[in-house]
Amino acid sequence: MENLNTALGLLVVGMVTVFIILCLVVVIGNLVIRLTNRFIPVAGPAAGTSGNGDAAGKRTHSKKLAVIVAAVDVVTHGQGNVESIERK
Amino acid sequence: MSEIFASLTEMMGFSMIGWETVLMWVIAFVLLYLGIFKEYEPLLLVPIGFGVLLANLPGAGLGIVDNSLVQHADGSYKSLLDIANEHGIMNFLYYALIKTGILPPIIFMGVGALTDFGPMLRNLKLALFGGAAQIGIFSVLLAAVIMGFTLPEAASLGIIGGADGPTAIYTTIKLAPHLLGPIAIAAYSYMALVPVIIPAVAKLLMKEKEFKIHMKKMDKQYPPKHDIKHLKTVKIIFPIVLGVIVAVFVPSSAPLLGMLLFGNLVKEIGPNTGRLAEAASGPIMNTATIFLGLTVGATMTSEVFLSGQTLGIIVGGFLAFAVSVAGGIFFVKLYNLFAKKKINPLVGATGLSAVPMASRVANDLALKYDKSNHILQYCMASNVSGVIGSAVAAGVLISFLG
Repeated sequence: MENLNTALGLLVVGMVTVFIILCLVVVIGNLVIRLTNRFIPVAGPAAGTSGNGDAAGKRTHSKKLAVIVAAVDVVTHGQGNVESIERK
Repeated sequence: MSEIFASLTEMMGFSMIGWETVLMWVIAFVLLYLGIFKEYEPLLLVPIGFGVLLANLPGAGLGIVDNSLVQHADGSYKSLLDIANEHGIMNFLYYALIKTGILPPIIFMGVGALTDFGPMLRNLKLALFGGAAQIGIFSVLLAAVIMGFTLPEAASLGIIGGADGPTAIYTTIKLAPHLLGPIAIAAYSYMALVPVIIPAVAKLLMKEKEFKIHMKKMDKQYPPKHDIKHLKTVKIIFPIVLGVIVAVFVPSSAPLLGMLLFGNLVKEIGPNTGRLAEAASGPIMNTATIFLGLTVGATMTSEVFLSGQTLGIIVGGFLAFAVSVAGGIFFVKLYNLFAKKKINPLVGATGLSAVPMASRVANDLALKYDKSNHILQYCMASNVSGVIGSAVAAGVLISFLG
C-alpha cells in the first residue's frame, strides 16, 4: 500500500515536473527568439541593394567565400585550405 | 589416453548445454533475424542479439556475472583489472561502461548532434504535447507496483513508455540493473514496432475528421505571432540556456540532457565545431552503440532472463508504449475542445521520443486521409520535446528512487 502511494505521488510529481520543464522550453524559446529579433540587426538584401553597388558585391563575395571555405573545411576534415578562387 | 579424452570432453562445452541454453540461443537467433532480415532497429538488435548468443555459449564465460561476485565483503567494487582477470572481457566492459552509466549519455551526445530543434522552435507551443506522452511511464509504474514489482523495478519498466532506448537503459542501470537485459530488449523492440503501435492506437482513438485536421491551413488561418529572424543564432543560444535551466530544476537529468544539448550545440555552431559534431554523431556514437548492445545482450544469461519478471516486462513495456501514445492523443483532443486553432491529434501521438520514426509514421498516416496534409514538421516539434520530457521523467524517477 505504501509503495502504491509512492507510485501515485511519483505520477503527480513526475508529470507536473515534465510539464513545468516543457513550459520552460516554450518560455525560453520565445524569449530567445524575441531578444534576437530585437537586438540583432537583420542583414537583409534590401540593405545591400539600397547602398553602394560595389560594397554590396563585396559583401556577397565574402559570403560566398565563407561558404566555400566552410565546405572545404568540412570535406577535408580541417586539413585543406583555400588559396585562390577563380571563375571559369 | 582416456584421461586426455576426458579432459577434451570437459574442455568442450557439450556437457553444459541444457534446454535453457538452447532456448537462449533461439532468443538470440530471433533477435538477430529481426535485426538482419526484418531490419527492426538493426544497429541495436544485432549487437544485443549477438551479445545474448555470446553470454550463453557454454563455458565461454562471456555472460555478465552478478554484482556480488565483483564486490568485496565490505560492498566496494573490485578493480577493473581484477574483474577482467576473474570474469573476462565482457564483464570488464560491462562494469566499466554500463554499470558506471557512461554509455547512454555518450549516445545522447550523438543524438543531440543529429537533432534539429528548428521544427520545435518554429512551433514552440507544440512542445507541450511531448509532455502528455510521458503519462505511459508513470501509469505503468503504478500498474507494475500493483503487479508486485518493487518501486525501482517498476520505474525501470515504466520508462520503456518514453520510447527512448538510452534513457531506458540509463534509468535501469541506476534503479534496477538486474533487469537491464529484458528492459533494453523490450524498449528497442517496441521502438522498432512504432510503425505498428502508433497507427493501431490512433485508429482506435481518433475520428476521421481528426486525422484530416490540416496543420498548414490552420497556420494560415491563425499565423504565428512572430517570425524567427535569426534562426541560427537562436539555435545556438537555445541549448546553452535550456541546459543550464533544466539542470538547475532537475539535476539528475543533467547527464542525459546536458550531453544531448552539448551535441546539439556543436552541430548548430557550424563548420568551426563541425568536426566535433561529426565525431559525436559518427565514430563516438557508433563505438558506444557497439559496446552498449553487446554488453546489454550479455546480461541476458538464462538464469536472469528466463523468469516470470521478463514476461511482466514485455507486457508492461507494451502497455507503457500504448498508454503514452494514447496520452498524447487525448491531450491534443482536450486542447482542441478549447482552442480555435485545432491541432491534429497525431502530433500528440508523436510525443514519444522515438525520433524521427514516430513523426514519419504519423505523417504517413495523415497523408492517407488527406494527401496535402504534411504534418512532419509539426510532429517533429512534439517528438523532439518528447526526448526532453522522457529525460526529465527519468531524472525525477532517479532522484526519488535512486
